[in-house]
Amino acid sequence: MVLGNRKLIYASIAALLLIVAFVIPPSLSLKGKGAVRGIMAPAERSTSGLGQRLSEAASAIRGMGGAVEKNRELSHELVRVQAELSQLRDADADNQRLRRAFKFQHQQSRTLIPCDVISRSIGGWWNTVRVGKGKADGIRENHAVISPDGLVGKTIEVAKHTSEVLLVCDPACRISARIKDSDTYGLVRGGGINLRGHPIARMDFIDKDTEVLVGDEVVTSGLSGGEGLSPKGVHIGYIVKVHKDNSGLFQSAEIAPSATVSLLDYLFVVSADGEKVP
Amino acid sequence: MMKRFLMLGGIFVGALVQLSLPPWPIFGGIKPPVLASFALYYALHRSPRGMWIAVFWAALLHDGLDLGGFGPALIGFPVIGVLAHRVRLEIFIDGTVTQMFFGAVGAMLLTFLTLLIYSASGQRPFHFGHALLRLVGSGLLGMVTLPLVSLTMNTLENILPKKRGYGWQ
Repeated sequence: MVLGNRKLIYASIAALLLIVAFVIPPSLSLKGKGAVRGIMAPAERSTSGLGQRLSEAASAIRGMGGAVEKNRELSHELVRVQAELSQLRDADADNQRLRRAFKFQHQQSRTLIPCDVISRSIGGWWNTVRVGKGKADGIRENHAVISPDGLVGKTIEVAKHTSEVLLVCDPACRISARIKDSDTYGLVRGGGINLRGHPIARMDFIDKDTEVLVGDEVVTSGLSGGEGLSPKGVHIGYIVKVHKDNSGLFQSAEIAPSATVSLLDYLFVVSADGEKVP
Repeated sequence: MMKRFLMLGGIFVGALVQLSLPPWPIFGGIKPPVLASFALYYALHRSPRGMWIAVFWAALLHDGLDLGGFGPALIGFPVIGVLAHRVRLEIFIDGTVTQMFFGAVGAMLLTFLTLLIYSASGQRPFHFGHALLRLVGSGLLGMVTLPLVSLTMNTLENILPKKRGYGWQ
């Protein structure tokens, strides 16, 4: 009797867990995760802050002192200037078109929300980082995330005070891209991390007749879905290998995403609405 | 009660440690299974009630902090916990070799279940070579992590003030 009861309890627990794993809708699951992340976020921030301070202290001891803070400020400034330059280029292109067509197009403004990276993926199954800002700070899902080195990824699973950032190198991340010099379009998707620890990505659906060279720069096309995803002209990486398939319709290329994860401790989320966010 | 607090606090700190550790590409990008080791440690050392509390708390933190749906840890931790708990009286649980064996088997089983869940639900692409690397890598990491977690928790539990149940002590 006791053995039968125990089997029943185990079967009930197993059934419950399977329901939780496979049946619960993502919205409900996200609420649960938001609660767990809310509990852990202050501790994660402290741990991350401690790590950064130790790293900066080590740099200071090595003789760089104030250069650390200065470097951080300049990096912030560089991203802002790059974003501004990208917008000005867009504006210039728009201007040229307007001169031809005598039409005015409304140009959308964007705001960058600076965020600190508070932790990384816990299991290593996903290529993600968690930033210490969320819905309360104006971040929504599918917003582009950039760093001084270029496109980092996009926001996914945004909770009230934290957001997960899916990195460009994750197989689930797909972004519409363009080869800058040849003005050819394609789709960039992550290829994970290789055995040397370097993130890799792949650009597919490149026009077969276009000449693609190793070293060509790949930037965002601005055509990806979602209102804040992938502003035009953001650097993704450089082509390191070209795969040509004579029997296929397209060619593909391997890319080295420049915004390497190990170097990040802060990044910027592109806010689509252009509102001033505190 | 103090041991219960130590258990919950230890798992909380374990989650932070696992978050802070970098993924190791040579082991397939898997991180050292600190939380799984806590679940195994309490499955080997505690009553069923203590085991279930540790297993659920660790699984909740693991899945709550990871991307994707709840599931891999919420199913995997109870499985390795129950299996370890069933044989705990037949083995020398504080032996280093025993713990290395349990750490490796537990981590590999957990990785296998995670692979199954992610592949079945279509959340992650399946590559045989990568999966094999992750299985072997997780085994090696588990082999190192469980003895370290056991050593730490045994030391901390020994520091706690002892409950004196007899008047003459």
